[in-house]
Amino acid sequence: MAIGESIPMLDSVARVTGAVDYMVNLRLPNMLFGKIVRSQSPHAELLKVDATNALHVPGVVAILTGEDLGANAFYGAAIKDQGVVAVDRVRYVGEPIAAIAAESSEAAEQAALLIDIEYEELPSVFEAKEAIQPGAPALHMKFQNNIFKHAKLRHGDMEAAFAEADEIFEDTFTSPVAQQASLEPHVAAAQWDGTRFTIWTAAQAPFTVRKALSEVFDIPPEAIRVIVPPVGGAYGGKGHIRIEPLVAAMARKTNGRPVKFVLSRAEEFVTVTKHAASITLKTGVKRDGTFTARQVTIYWNGGAYADVSPMLVPAGMVRSVGPYRIPAVHVDSYGVYTNLPPAGAYRGAMSSQTTWAYESQMDIIARRMGWDPLEFRMKNLLVSGEHFATGEELQDVHFMECLEAAAKGLDLPRPPLRAERSTRVIEAGRGPKSKRGRGYGVMMKSTLATSKSQARLKLEEDGTVTLYTSTVEMGQGGHTTMAQITSETLGIPLSAIKIIGPDTALTPFDSTTSASRSTSSMGNAVIAACVIMKKRLFDLSAPLLETPINELQTENGFVVANEVSISFADVLRRNDLQTLEESGEYSTSLGIDPETGQGVATPHWHQGAGAAEVEVDTETGRITILRYAAASFAGRVVNPRLAQLQNDGNVIFGLGPALMEEIVYDGGQATNPNLADYAIPSIRDLPEELTSVCIESEKGEMHGIGEMTLPPVAPAIANAIEAAVGVRIKDLPITAEKILRALRERSEQ
Amino acid sequence: MNLNVNGKRYEVQAGTRTLLEVLREDLGFVGSKEGCGVGMCGACTVLVDGKPISGCLMLAEQAANRKILTIEGLATNGQLHPVQQTFIDEGAFQCAYCTPGFILSTVALLKENADPSEEEIREYLSGNLCRCGSYRNIVKAVIASSKRG
Repeated sequence: MAIGESIPMLDSVARVTGAVDYMVNLRLPNMLFGKIVRSQSPHAELLKVDATNALHVPGVVAILTGEDLGANAFYGAAIKDQGVVAVDRVRYVGEPIAAIAAESSEAAEQAALLIDIEYEELPSVFEAKEAIQPGAPALHMKFQNNIFKHAKLRHGDMEAAFAEADEIFEDTFTSPVAQQASLEPHVAAAQWDGTRFTIWTAAQAPFTVRKALSEVFDIPPEAIRVIVPPVGGAYGGKGHIRIEPLVAAMARKTNGRPVKFVLSRAEEFVTVTKHAASITLKTGVKRDGTFTARQVTIYWNGGAYADVSPMLVPAGMVRSVGPYRIPAVHVDSYGVYTNLPPAGAYRGAMSSQTTWAYESQMDIIARRMGWDPLEFRMKNLLVSGEHFATGEELQDVHFMECLEAAAKGLDLPRPPLRAERSTRVIEAGRGPKSKRGRGYGVMMKSTLATSKSQARLKLEEDGTVTLYTSTVEMGQGGHTTMAQITSETLGIPLSAIKIIGPDTALTPFDSTTSASRSTSSMGNAVIAACVIMKKRLFDLSAPLLETPINELQTENGFVVANEVSISFADVLRRNDLQTLEESGEYSTSLGIDPETGQGVATPHWHQGAGAAEVEVDTETGRITILRYAAASFAGRVVNPRLAQLQNDGNVIFGLGPALMEEIVYDGGQATNPNLADYAIPSIRDLPEELTSVCIESEKGEMHGIGEMTLPPVAPAIANAIEAAVGVRIKDLPITAEKILRALRERSEQ
Repeated sequence: MNLNVNGKRYEVQAGTRTLLEVLREDLGFVGSKEGCGVGMCGACTVLVDGKPISGCLMLAEQAANRKILTIEGLATNGQLHPVQQTFIDEGAFQCAYCTPGFILSTVALLKENADPSEEEIREYLSGNLCRCGSYRNIVKAVIASSKRG
């Protein structure tokens, strides 16, 4: 059946012929071009925002400024601190101050230069650890110490547990600000007909967008229609709410004409980022190789607005402990305001930063105590039936299998080096002073504790099925996966399935396409809808087939009894029905106590591992990833090819934060907001050999695998580097320069 | 001025706009995308006289009376080009924003070098970025295309 088959993505032909209708292609009748005017100051009072001259530019239709906004024009997942455009004050370079709608992009660009803005500069702060110091400038009145979220986990008696330890390790690991850098930028269009909005947007969470706009404009959610075409990459960066409030506010001023905004690459870098993080791990270990306690302190740089961080800071807390048996754990996870662009989810949200910390420290501990890093992990990895630091009992966890599979990937015989390999590579990475090492990493990540997915199936007159789903197709193959689940569960050929959505006017609710939740959550909603539909079909066809319901099956679009069968279309026809519609729902309602972090953090745990073999050139610090092997726990794989693409893609994406990605700021101004100076992995960065596997379990619960193999990449590489040349890098990204400096420092000692 | 795109001539008023802008905005060839705007990502790749170029860096004027091939011109009579078919067969894309660029670069590579080594493939395609990270299958697809001839 369809589950377990590597079928190509449903719209593959469109994907190879350039025919996918991404947002950038959207053209609407009478459409205007939008342009955002942004702050040049990291922190200032706005003394004047005067659009008079700009309004005179021919072709300019309307200009939006803070004066247009009502008292409700603020948004944020939990703290509504962000204005649709800045009102009175700007808090980061790049913050929207005004927006222009014009007949042409040239007119909009020209008008943007004529908006007269006067700033009165305020002191600014860019590092989370500096922002919490007394006397640091406060960004928001209500949070004088700039801490907008403090998530706490309290499990066990720390003092007693540390007293039992033979050795205590304390290390701090940092990750810089980075950018999701989907090749498709943020793009949105809006039209306002006087009472209702239509919003077209490349977004991961259409219903979150609808709710936010409903609150900002004080209109019912039903008056807002959000349509999401196929998305050209998101990786968390199009989650939550991005440019939609501004685009919608602009559309309120254009007399019903639609307006579309396409962000430039430079604007992408000020629209959403990955949280910079400083993570200190204090870990107590006994001589027998077991843990006694771990204390984690994290400062997340949330940027100037809380955005989705009030949700991510507690998630990051749970994701910071690691998949190990540790009797006592305390975590303090702080979300901190600074004068940088707001941070959001970045593929493997928060786990990318936390896994870097705990998996790096695993090797520091193992090395100092004289243990093999792989054995030390195996000895301490949690297994099903044990309890995590949240107090919850773990079910269906396979960390050891993931790590074993990844490690085994390095033990496969190495194919002979290709004879045609260019000499240049040999010179760069294979000098006589090159050394090799292996390293490992394991990850444990929660998905959303509380969320809901609904799916609606419509059996059409001709016997085909339309699935209405708000799962966003953003390259992960979400729609193909849902079609396969429908095909198998309902017993209908893939070719007879059509998918519609997301469109909040047509498709039922879904919380979001993120946190690798769709295959599980939406998948189960689709299964529920199929089961109900099947039951209806049995009820309707049993009398026709003169067969008891319990002897019926569905197959290939037919209801089948022992000797006879009837097509779905005929079931409808013979019952005088035009169509048949059924809905399914899957939801989870879990959570942890805000004071203690105790409870159930997730419906299931995301699990992954990686193993790296690297070569380090001791004369240049250059790193070559010879081999990388990755494993993720998938429960049950729906589409092996798409699963492999997720696993591979995560490793390759993960090479970015591991080896190269960092937004460098000067006075709050990004100095490298372009893909020339901010490098993302190219095909040349692909490890010489890359393998990845999915682990399945007997129970066969489907897990998403959109992130699992990413977080282990950076620590596996750092651990391999230490194995090779004995230096430890604690600050991402791991550059040749840092390695060379560490090697020199060591040789000077 | 005239642009020769996918075997047809188009009269355009290009002004100082880039080839990418004219192809997308005036002629509706929207398969090429702007990804970075500075010639780093290759999402805007088109073939000009058989060579892959970044449509965001070339002025339309410079492409006048040269043979321009976009992704829309690759399939013939509704039949996918063999490289397009192998990209499907090998699962060499995810979000596919970059895919037209990769396919056109591959077509150019295989014209220059019918049997490229993996190292040569990696070198040639290094100007096309895929943020989803489909590179392993892209390499497989290029090799499979070369085997098919």
